Amino acid sequence: MSAEQTDNLTETSGRRRSRGNATYWLGLLLVGVIVLAGLISFVWTPYALSDMVGGRLEAPSLQHWAGTDRLGRDLFTQLMIGARIALIVGCGAVVIGAAIGVTTGLLAAFATRFLDDALAAVFDILIAFPTLLIAMLVVAAREEASLGTAILALGIGLSPIVGRITRILTKQVLGQDYITAARVSGTSWGAIVFWHILPNIAPFLGVNLALQFGLAVMAEASLSYLGLGAPPPNASWGRMLQEAQGTVYTAPWGAILPGLALFALVIGINLLADGLRDRFDPTKGAA
Amino acid sequence: MISKTEISRRSARGRAVLAALTASSVLALSSAAALAQDFDPQAVINIGSLYEPQNLDNTQGAGQGINEAFNGNVYEGLFVLTDAGEVEPKLVDSYEISEDGLTYTFTLKEGVTFHSGDPLTAADVKSSIERVTAENSASSRKRTLAVITGIETPDDQTVVVTLSAPSISLPYNLSYVWIVNDAAGDISSGEDGTGPYVLQEWRRGSALAMVPFDGYWGEEPTNGGVMFQYFTDATAQNNALLTGAVDIITSVQSPDALSLFTDNPDFTVSEGASTTKELMAYNDRVAPFDNATVRAALARAVDNEKLLQAIWGDYGTLIGSFVPPTDPWYEDLTGVNAYDPESAQQMLAEAGYADGFSFTLDTPDYDPHPVVAQFLQNELAKVGVEVKINIITANEWYTKIYKAHDFDATLQEHVNHRDIVFYGNPDFYWGYDNPEVTRLITESESVSSMDEQTEMLAEANRIIAEDAASMWLYLYPQIVVSTSNVSGYPLNGLNSQFFVSDIKKAD
Repeated sequence: MSAEQTDNLTETSGRRRSRGNATYWLGLLLVGVIVLAGLISFVWTPYALSDMVGGRLEAPSLQHWAGTDRLGRDLFTQLMIGARIALIVGCGAVVIGAAIGVTTGLLAAFATRFLDDALAAVFDILIAFPTLLIAMLVVAAREEASLGTAILALGIGLSPIVGRITRILTKQVLGQDYITAARVSGTSWGAIVFWHILPNIAPFLGVNLALQFGLAVMAEASLSYLGLGAPPPNASWGRMLQEAQGTVYTAPWGAILPGLALFALVIGINLLADGLRDRFDPTKGAA
Repeated sequence: MISKTEISRRSARGRAVLAALTASSVLALSSAAALAQDFDPQAVINIGSLYEPQNLDNTQGAGQGINEAFNGNVYEGLFVLTDAGEVEPKLVDSYEISEDGLTYTFTLKEGVTFHSGDPLTAADVKSSIERVTAENSASSRKRTLAVITGIETPDDQTVVVTLSAPSISLPYNLSYVWIVNDAAGDISSGEDGTGPYVLQEWRRGSALAMVPFDGYWGEEPTNGGVMFQYFTDATAQNNALLTGAVDIITSVQSPDALSLFTDNPDFTVSEGASTTKELMAYNDRVAPFDNATVRAALARAVDNEKLLQAIWGDYGTLIGSFVPPTDPWYEDLTGVNAYDPESAQQMLAEAGYADGFSFTLDTPDYDPHPVVAQFLQNELAKVGVEVKINIITANEWYTKIYKAHDFDATLQEHVNHRDIVFYGNPDFYWGYDNPEVTRLITESESVSSMDEQTEMLAEANRIIAEDAASMWLYLYPQIVVSTSNVSGYPLNGLNSQFFVSDIKKAD
């Protein structure tokens, strides 16, 4: 390989790296702004959530930064609370999805051939159903819609994807020589899982969970749009979209702003996850 | 004997209110009609609607869409409820009522034929009424026709109906009964009526086309056919009107959609008289809603005017009760239990709920109910009552609330004309049981004149208003929008009917 070629190689990967960095920082910015808005909403919002403080469908102004809805409620307040709800649902669903998915995924990887095949088939079957559909079934099975139900439903909906990834990653790690060495030296399976497997699969799993977070946020908005999400007075972006649907000609901001917020959060999470993968992925980092 | 002119002597009060209500739109219409003199008798009118029928048989749970498409267009009754709210003879030439009010003798019109070519006979009328009262009929009018004990057909032009109790609303109730050829068999996907139009094609999920019937006994239609086009989404329906895919939309669902058509010379916006009432129905069987003081307190805690403004802008009406201005026994009751949050709090304290209480509001998932629910949640929170909103589908509403009566309170829109009678039925879903109201409503059927009936039902209406039997929020506006070259369509749409034979379209 000539010196010139080597230079070219490092240059392209360097450029890719910096582009990766730019998207990473953009992702971090988008997510950061929304997380900040969600956190601030705990201590301060421009108005109280359900106070009818303005006129019907007022345009954005100095008093109402995002305008008002049909009942004269401040939309900026709803957007901030919506950010909080989106983050709570996203985190909650990912935690539940990970708890169920990682456990069953590890179980499958360690199990006998028969159980492994069975669990793998179950994952595949469940993945064949759209996450939203599974979530809707869970909501329907519970008596009343609530924030908790929505989180649980989405967590359960996400778990087969997490389970399948955990299973595959674990199997890769289990094939490594150091696992055999650890077994031969008498380390228990529990210790192997804790000390060898989890640390090795964590980066990949983390990136995947970040993507699942984005999916959960979208799914929550869809559930709320369908009226199956957290009931009012919780302000969900999905419900804001649904309520603004009929007034999209006369008051387009009511639909555009929650749509933008949702877009920003999901795209931000995806960029962030991409950036994280680039950082953790040893095959890319080597260049 | 009571002469047949009795029927047209309906309450003058109801008519006056109706006339006042529609005066402006009628003015607008007559000028539009003048412009549209040179109409095209061959033009096909496209009508946009949100209510596709489930099937074509109004005794098989087909939904309000079948009345919209078929009443007066494909099928006719012995009587017709006109768009102005009058009950007039249609297929009946004349009729007589016995002294005791228990026997009606109808003489049918001569020369009426069904679309299949068979002549109309008394046997068809008998079988048509029996279709509605049959055990497996799902008609909403079954109960009101249950007083009929016998139908006899002494000759082909005469039908004698005997009743178990006098029923002054019989002609009105018969206006819901389609006269169907007794040889027709199953009409869930076909038809054989006497109306001015013949069903041409029904494309499930999209459209229903009708063409004029050559052998029609009455005046021939002023258009070359109509096509009902069905939409599941109001926005798509509005867009269809904007782009010329339809000529008329039968009801507009929000004031925001209207802004596309008002001040636009290409469209005519007309406001008619509405019978659609938005209400919060309590389950009057369960505490604390079994207590009239609590219900009255909640009624006083809610600013209906503000709600109507939020939902409908400058449209719609407050009526203070369940009876709309098109019913003869209408009375403005907005003063009863009017908005007064302070007295609401006092009354709650009197009733033993000084610290308020909490209840679940089952809210259908379609507009405007979720927004209305949030408004009520805000308003009632101010008097210490917590509302938990539970969003349900229309199907769940039917099984959980209408059938099983398993609810605290719910939101619903009630579309029917003359439906105060629901409050006289203690088994109805809201379970309002006031013996005096039940008596007034039941006995109002047995009186001999419309004036007496009107007086008794007006009294019943005042009692339910004072009792705050439900929380009546507002009366929807009835708005029809058309392109400006189309005229002659009905404005009020009473009972979802939409008579199309006088619609004219200019070139």
